[in-house]
Amino acid sequence: MPKRAWTSVLARWGIVLLVSLITLTPVVWVLSLSFKPPQEWLAYPPTLIPRQPTLENYLVLFWPGNPVGVVSEMVRTAEPVTRAFINSLIIVPISTALSIVIGFLAAYGISRFGAGGNFLPFSVLTTRMFPPIAFAVPLLVYYRSLGLIDTHLGLILMYTTFTLAFSLWMIKGFIDGIPRHIEEAAILDGASRWRVMFTITLPLIRGGLAAAALFVFIMNWTEFLFALIFTSRFAVTLPVQVSRYAGAVGRYYGPQAALGIIASIPVLIAGYLIQRYLVRAFTFGLVK
Amino acid sequence: MASIEVRQLYKRYGRITALQGLDFSVKDGEFFCLLGAPGAGKTTTFRIIAGLEKPDRGEVWIGGELMNSIPPQRRDVAMVFEDVALYPHMSAFDNIAHPLRLRRLPEEEIRRRVGEIAELLRISHLLHRLPHTYSGGERRRVAIARAMVRRPRVLLLDQAFTDLDAKIRQEMAAELKRLQRETGQTMIYATHDFEEAVAMADRILVMRDGRGVQVDEPQVLYDRPATAFVASFLGSPGMNLLRCQAIPEPQGTRFVHADFMLLSPVQLGENREVLLGIRPEHLQILMSPAPGSVEAEVEIIQPLGLERIVDLRTGPFVLKAIASIDLPLQLRQRVWLLWPSEHLFVFDATTEERIYPG
Repeated sequence: MPKRAWTSVLARWGIVLLVSLITLTPVVWVLSLSFKPPQEWLAYPPTLIPRQPTLENYLVLFWPGNPVGVVSEMVRTAEPVTRAFINSLIIVPISTALSIVIGFLAAYGISRFGAGGNFLPFSVLTTRMFPPIAFAVPLLVYYRSLGLIDTHLGLILMYTTFTLAFSLWMIKGFIDGIPRHIEEAAILDGASRWRVMFTITLPLIRGGLAAAALFVFIMNWTEFLFALIFTSRFAVTLPVQVSRYAGAVGRYYGPQAALGIIASIPVLIAGYLIQRYLVRAFTFGLVK
Repeated sequence: MASIEVRQLYKRYGRITALQGLDFSVKDGEFFCLLGAPGAGKTTTFRIIAGLEKPDRGEVWIGGELMNSIPPQRRDVAMVFEDVALYPHMSAFDNIAHPLRLRRLPEEEIRRRVGEIAELLRISHLLHRLPHTYSGGERRRVAIARAMVRRPRVLLLDQAFTDLDAKIRQEMAAELKRLQRETGQTMIYATHDFEEAVAMADRILVMRDGRGVQVDEPQVLYDRPATAFVASFLGSPGMNLLRCQAIPEPQGTRFVHADFMLLSPVQLGENREVLLGIRPEHLQILMSPAPGSVEAEVEIIQPLGLERIVDLRTGPFVLKAIASIDLPLQLRQRVWLLWPSEHLFVFDATTEERIYPG
């Protein structure tokens, strides 16, 4: 290989390595931390490989105070993570599905029929124009009067509403990318509008929908502010549960890291399952 | 199959007027062509016939039935779009079978009909491939197959061969004509290409600014254009048109503009401003002066195999002539042009309507 080509290959690999390092270091660090005993959490100099690896950080998430150990003693009063995990697994997929379905139908109406004129698509964005905390107090009043505080339904409605702007605009972009003539050809073939939407448009933007769904799923899965304000015990989600591993002496980094690792698993699975659609979404402009 | 009648169609898009009082009728089983420059209203006409657009005014009749309030799904009109519009996620088989599946035909019948039309259009080898793997011509064929497979009453083809290269375009035009003859399908083809229209159509409607200018058989349109626009649009190159003053003389008419002057036996009767027309193939190039000839200078020579298109400057005008390759012509050479009176056309300069021959 000529010298110039070698330099190019080396430079490329160097950049890839650097970017990987920046991206993966926090993940590796959290993974390492989740297996460390308390004395190593803040040890200086820090170590990547735990000197005395332990599973206690993981075990106490599900069985606080059992087995007996230093970490168990720390989190003895905490609720088991099972409830938060189930809550997240109920609230997040449902709100994501609702956001994508409503977003798709709205985006189709706006893209193909100009529904709502210029006003509607932009008015949807108002939910993203203010910091979420600005909505928190008025919503708290409404939610209290409607009995939605600390309920699954309350968070599902909230997450659906606040991610709708993203799903609508993302999906609208994909629908806009499909030539109208393709749908009109199907209409002339004899298909109804609904049929066109489900048999022509939907399969063509499958990748886009998958990308939007993953994006919204991650937003909902990691949402903290509303979950903290609008839940207390029954509908607590994982991000709120993470914040509960703290005591008078400080934060319990080990259990927090372990929960962080566990919480990442559903997102990784979702990403893996829709990986091939994501590639299609990124190459969407190739429809011809 | 069915006849079509379009009556007084009007359509505006905001400030843009697409159609203004378009009228025409297509006979059952006829190959009809809409010929016009881009923006003449061809696609809008198609979209209204197909039911994809509503006209502001006017009526569309198909097979003696008023279509204005009938949805596109129930008009039984098929259309091949300019950009083909194949379903990118379906194979050729599924693309072609799509309209049949919507009609809930038995799968056996669907396979038989798709096979037949694929054979007719020579696309059997594509049936299990996705559209992005086809060539331009193959995509057109699949689109035509999809449109024809359900045997619609009317087939509309919107500039269906536009982006194909000249050779494939000629092949496709011949094939489409053959297909139309074999099936007796009522077809309307929209194009801006005069040669394509002449090659296929039984009759041609020349459109301009959303109106029909003249409708007739291709040869009649060519031989007796009703307006200067039709004369210039039909032909390759189109008719030479010279704006000049027609002054009656005892022996005919003198056509004058600046230092251009032509005396012709054509009788017009009054002094008026006109457009004098002659087709490039009728303009005779002489190497020496002759009675009634006009002096000119060779400006450009474009070789075309056995013939050449020659640009000739005479007075303020540049004329195009088709000359044999045998004629020894060189740039900036002085030549003389003979204007046979039997091939002269005269149009009114204001209305552009033909005055001569009457």
